[in-house]
Amino acid sequence: MLDVMNLLFSQEFLFRALIVGVLISLCTALLGVSLVLKRFSMIGDGLSHVAFGAMAIATAASIAPLYFALPIVVIAAFLLLRMSESGKIKGDAAIALISTGALAVGVMATSMTTGMNVDIYNYMFGSILTMSESDVVISSVVSVVIIALFILFYHEIFAVTFDESFAKATGTKVSVYNMLIAALTAVTIVIGMRMMGALLISSLIIFPTVTSMRICKSFKRVVISSVIVSIFCFVSGLILSVKVEAPTGASVVIMNMFMLLVFTLIRVILQIPAKNKLHSFKKLLIAIVCVVSASVYCAAMFSGSFVAYEKEKTSVVATTFAPYDFARQITGDCADVEMLLSPGGESHTYEPTPGDIMKIKECDVFVYGGGESEAWVETILDSIDSEVRLVKMMDVVELYEEETDDESHNHGHEHEYDEHVWTSPLNAIRITEAVCEALCTADGENEMAYRRNTAEYINELQLLDESFEELMTLRERDCIIIGDRFPLRYFTERYSLDYFAAFPGCSAQVEANPVTISTLCDKIDKEGIPVVFKVDLSKGEVAETISEQTGAEVETLYSCHVITASDFENGETYISLMKRNLEALRKALI
Amino acid sequence: MSLISCKNVYLSYENNSVVEDLSFVVNEGDYLCVVGENGSGKSTLIKAILGLKQTADGHLHFGNEIKSGEIGYLPQQSSAQKDFPASVFEVVLSGCIGEKKGIFFSKKNKEYALENMKKLDIEHLKNKCYRELSGGQQQRVLLARALCAGKKILLLDEPVTGLDPVVTNEFYALIKKINIDFGITIVMVSHDLQACLGFATHILHLKKTNSFFGTRDEYMLSDAYMKYTGGKINA
Repeated sequence: MLDVMNLLFSQEFLFRALIVGVLISLCTALLGVSLVLKRFSMIGDGLSHVAFGAMAIATAASIAPLYFALPIVVIAAFLLLRMSESGKIKGDAAIALISTGALAVGVMATSMTTGMNVDIYNYMFGSILTMSESDVVISSVVSVVIIALFILFYHEIFAVTFDESFAKATGTKVSVYNMLIAALTAVTIVIGMRMMGALLISSLIIFPTVTSMRICKSFKRVVISSVIVSIFCFVSGLILSVKVEAPTGASVVIMNMFMLLVFTLIRVILQIPAKNKLHSFKKLLIAIVCVVSASVYCAAMFSGSFVAYEKEKTSVVATTFAPYDFARQITGDCADVEMLLSPGGESHTYEPTPGDIMKIKECDVFVYGGGESEAWVETILDSIDSEVRLVKMMDVVELYEEETDDESHNHGHEHEYDEHVWTSPLNAIRITEAVCEALCTADGENEMAYRRNTAEYINELQLLDESFEELMTLRERDCIIIGDRFPLRYFTERYSLDYFAAFPGCSAQVEANPVTISTLCDKIDKEGIPVVFKVDLSKGEVAETISEQTGAEVETLYSCHVITASDFENGETYISLMKRNLEALRKALI
Repeated sequence: MSLISCKNVYLSYENNSVVEDLSFVVNEGDYLCVVGENGSGKSTLIKAILGLKQTADGHLHFGNEIKSGEIGYLPQQSSAQKDFPASVFEVVLSGCIGEKKGIFFSKKNKEYALENMKKLDIEHLKNKCYRELSGGQQQRVLLARALCAGKKILLLDEPVTGLDPVVTNEFYALIKKINIDFGITIVMVSHDLQACLGFATHILHLKKTNSFFGTRDEYMLSDAYMKYTGGKINA
């Protein structure tokens, strides 16, 4: 326990997460009491979707998301209140209308630009570990305002929450307080969704109050208990995420669910002895026993020391599979190599756990792509000052712009560079050399071994390149069809292949444009192309559709970005996966 | 001395005229029952009396002793209240919100709340949770809250809805006691005509036009009463 606490306070990124999280949890708990008791629970959910839509538009239009989303969400909150108060559309329907509408607008906005990018994913699932100093300042200001208003107007808030009509009759300005609560909720959600994500933020509003309502018998106690429960759940959720290396947002919600269970149990136990006519202090005793056992359970859960990354050997951390494999080939047994993206994981929605950040901080050489899907890397490197030697793969090779449209039209917006640089064996050689240099500086003792392994490996990569060259001299056509996203741009450039893909670049878009699919089908029919490709780890639904339509066979291309769990266990490597590509291409081109 | 006087008042709801040319007077110590069919404008009248709605035309005057916000209002219960985690004392005290000066309730406010709980015989429930009370007890708590807000006059909106007959009779007796022993004026909106006739001193039978207003005895001889009860006369 102490170790974990120590870690929380010693690592700046964790400490920031702790501060922002505690403050936001406090605000959501206070606002939640009023919202839940007034049957406005879903307002939080609705507003978080509106915030998501606004953030998506802001990202698409390159406006600072926070300043764009804040006013929009506040307006949406007023609108929701007006709609449900006027009674023309019922409250729940009003919220559903606004939230799904906003979600659709957000998805439209993103699809018109580069597709779902990392920022958007962050807004959906949150990224509390990458809080900046300004986040800390903003959340402090907001929480001070909310606490002050809550104390100043505590009795008015009670009156308005308990009975609006009576409060109105006594001259209380009910609509002013409703507006105030809605506006504060909007602000809290916009700030909180950076931490929890749009999909989970409303749980912070609803859970603590519902949990406290299980056993608290007065409003004041519900308020106090909600704040305590909310903060406790956040802190223990954060610790849980550090311990088991899970995403923080989900861990916090899991802790909230756990507390709801405990409180419900206590309520059940409290109700039993009433029938048996036990004395009330015994009831209390049972409640205490329950609380104690729960805390013992928690303590047991969090006790034991946090696995510190004490290393004896030199260590290399790579974000994705390809650089991981290069480092593995170079180091042999001389160093530990770690991959952050677990086998089978989705690279574009990956979010680093506290443990991952610790690994980056503690390692000697860190290899990363530097592309759009790894935008989090820069934030983390900014927040940790360590002497890690960095290899940014996109700096090592010559870059191509990412295709943003299937027909390569330039729509005039900013072009991202394709980040899957390793797909060309020649680039793989350059990256391997760069990693080798970094390792030799970091660990001079094993320099000889590294250089020997690198030379051998580069030799293998050259052979791989030659076998592709050989295939290209034999090929009957220049064009491949990919019914999927297309991350092998560097590969096709290397061997002068033409390609037609259903989705641009590495976008995680899943809905294909029907016109594109029919264009691909026509192409296959006209030129008699025997194979339609899917990319590894995709479900290949579009490729299947094209296959059914045209009779072309579905084959898989491996991008080596991530690797499936079974391939990983079987010890597959960059070279072995590329050889699979070779065989697949042989069918497609000859 | 009249507490409320209403002269040639017109009320409308969403631009539709609901009540036309309404006149009545509530004097100190009166027990006025407001009856009428659904949609006859009872809720609109309540809002007008509470000052939450403007009259379309006419004069609605309050006696010198009532300022706005000083009518003790007992609204109909909402479903959200039924499982609201509040203590009885918190609920009763919230009736003093109009009197509150500064951020917190004063000692005087708290004593006044306790006094009203004593009057209604619910002092022992002080720390109980509102949602755990029976329907009759909940109504008493809300009544105590109304007493905190209105020292002179109570406005009750269908106060016995959902109560069983025994509790209903107890509750009527309690209101009569408040009316006679404490000298508090009562305005009650009700569907329960028989009970009204048993307790009220005055009756207001709301209709769109030609609403009836008079004493209980006058009402029982009126056409409005005959039509409403289908000609049966049982005093």
